[in-house]
Amino acid sequence: METAVSLYDIRKTFGTHKAVDGLSFEIPRGTVFGLLGRNGAGKTTTIRMILDIIRPDSGSIEILGRPMDATVKDRLGYLPEERGLYPKMKVLDMLEFFGSVKGLKPAEARKRALPWLERLELGEWKDKKVEDLSKGMQQKAQFISTILADPDVLILDEPFSGMDPVNQEIFRGILEEISSGGTTLIFSTHVMESAEKLCNQIALIDKGRAVLAGSLASIKEKFGANTIQLEFDGDGSFLEQLPGVERMQRYERFVEVNLTDGHSPQQLLETAAGRLQVRRFEVMEPTLHNIFIDQVGRAPDEDTGSREEVAHA
Amino acid sequence: MHKVWMVLRREYLESIKKKAFWIGTFIFPFFIVGMLAIQVVASMISPDTAKPIAVIDATGKIAEPFSEKLAQKTLKDDSPRYPVEIIEPGLDAEETRAANLDRVDSGEIYGLVTIGPDVDEERNFRLDWKNIGDQSTENALESALQEAVVGVRIEKSELDLDPAKLRELTKWAQLNTYQVSKGGETKEKGFEDAFIPTFIFVMMLYFLIYFHGYTMTRGIIQEKTSRVMEVLLGSVSPNELMTGKILGIGLVGLTQVSIYMLTGYAVRLVATFWMNVGDMDRFLDTIAPSKLIAFGVFYLFGYFIFVSIFAIVGAACNSDQEAQQLQLPIVGCLMLPMMTTFFFVANPDSMGATVMSLIPIFTPMVMFMRISVLTPPLWQIALSLVLMSGTIYLFFRAAAKVFRIGTLMYGKRPGIREIWRWAWS
Repeated sequence: METAVSLYDIRKTFGTHKAVDGLSFEIPRGTVFGLLGRNGAGKTTTIRMILDIIRPDSGSIEILGRPMDATVKDRLGYLPEERGLYPKMKVLDMLEFFGSVKGLKPAEARKRALPWLERLELGEWKDKKVEDLSKGMQQKAQFISTILADPDVLILDEPFSGMDPVNQEIFRGILEEISSGGTTLIFSTHVMESAEKLCNQIALIDKGRAVLAGSLASIKEKFGANTIQLEFDGDGSFLEQLPGVERMQRYERFVEVNLTDGHSPQQLLETAAGRLQVRRFEVMEPTLHNIFIDQVGRAPDEDTGSREEVAHA
Repeated sequence: MHKVWMVLRREYLESIKKKAFWIGTFIFPFFIVGMLAIQVVASMISPDTAKPIAVIDATGKIAEPFSEKLAQKTLKDDSPRYPVEIIEPGLDAEETRAANLDRVDSGEIYGLVTIGPDVDEERNFRLDWKNIGDQSTENALESALQEAVVGVRIEKSELDLDPAKLRELTKWAQLNTYQVSKGGETKEKGFEDAFIPTFIFVMMLYFLIYFHGYTMTRGIIQEKTSRVMEVLLGSVSPNELMTGKILGIGLVGLTQVSIYMLTGYAVRLVATFWMNVGDMDRFLDTIAPSKLIAFGVFYLFGYFIFVSIFAIVGAACNSDQEAQQLQLPIVGCLMLPMMTTFFFVANPDSMGATVMSLIPIFTPMVMFMRISVLTPPLWQIALSLVLMSGTIYLFFRAAAKVFRIGTLMYGKRPGIREIWRWAWS
């Protein structure tokens, strides 16, 4: 399959800190790709190298089958985690500028921005200064700026962080639309739940290396159906001590149990049914969250690593 | 190229939309016009009003030749500039003087000259007046008195000389100052006349270079703090970004300087055609078209030399406060030539001025200042342009490197030594 982005043995060191340490993976064209990892795993550094904002110390990167150059750069869209707008500029002027540095003619950028502003209910704000917009409106403006030039590959770094649920839904809808139009989407996130909902391909990275990469379906298949969700009345804490239970996680209304290989869900059900009032028993594919814990040995939002600091080249 | 152009375009359009730009643009022409107005007002008030002089002459011999001599000074309409009233000294000249002081105070008499009985006495001559700063009147009175007194003294010495011959012999020798410039052409010039306009233009160069240079620093810092930098660098290369910004801000400055030059030219036209230029010769010379062009050229070179250093400051700092500190040495480099203006205007061809005008970071102001007061040898001007071009290239390369590394760096500001290492890596 044609690839949108290919990384071969990428390395990048800041001072003594190895931010990316021999990373390789491929992102097939047209997929929705999740770049997953804890904060500090090297996600942002990797994205910056894909975008040629910083150069890897070694290794090579191909975008759309070609090495990085100015024309390729124009085919990439980027929504950085730390959003950046010109506070003193008028909304439409700013969109025109961001479109024009992606190779559009200023007039064309303006023409394309208008329907988006209307659609996202910013039409009346187009001649207002960015600093006068609410945070939600600024997020919308930023989003428009990244898709204005119709990128072939759209890279979104923690796109939903700090976003209210209404906006999240709006963007999810637009992203699905863009994806079905053939654009490759790359999500970078540490929130496994949202990755699980959106992505069909993932790479899981930790300490600058790829721990796991491939299609979500094949990865789940590989990890087998060993996760059980159990809903019941009564005290279920004894479940954790049962033989074959590798891990148990409590949620508000149910528990999720992982079994070690060789133990059948059937046994668990029998034991549980004997001592509890079981209301629901479901054998499931493992969640990304659990796969993550399994592979990295820590929950993705357990913040032990320091935030990536850039530069000191 | 498209991207450089787009960055330039944004920089330019956003700048000229700001109030600060228009305020800055119109304050300087306002100064120039103001200067002209002062000159015009001064030339209207001082030479064209008669200044009545009164003389109390105890000797009885001086008042006559003194007033004759003064009568030679006329206003434009040929009436006497210093109409003289001879007051009888009475019994005591000193008492008469005291009695007439009221008239000086009321302004009826501009100057009261009292001549005591003994012309050989040092303190025999006295002027009572209010406007003690009026150098030209003082000079006129003194020279008239001089000739009259010498006549009386010679008469008193009882040498047999013809009074007319005597007047001829004792004629006051006035020293007129002229300045020689290239081609042997001479112009009447005075130090004060040359200093003030030149200093104002040098100061304008300083402000323009500093203001637009620091706009660069502030712009970069704002793009870093608002995190636009990351979005930008996802679209343009650091070199494209820096080049676009330098050219964009440069164009803003050029727009401003063009407005100044046109204002200067217009003022000159107006002054030449509709006003009496007699006393404004020196002033008009400083806004001659060649001087205005030199101003534009040295502004551009100055801007391009310093903007790279200002870009380095912006790339290395994360806040205005940090930048304020780091830019101090640059401000020093810009201030130094301004300080020297006072000495160099008097000696524009001195070794110090020549050497300093050939050091690229001082060239824009010092060389412009030299050109403003005299025309330095052409080879020196050419050499200074070559040296500045080389410096611009070197500084730009260094800035590009620091920019690439510094723009994405947050956290602690790197030390000067570290910046230096980046610049020449």
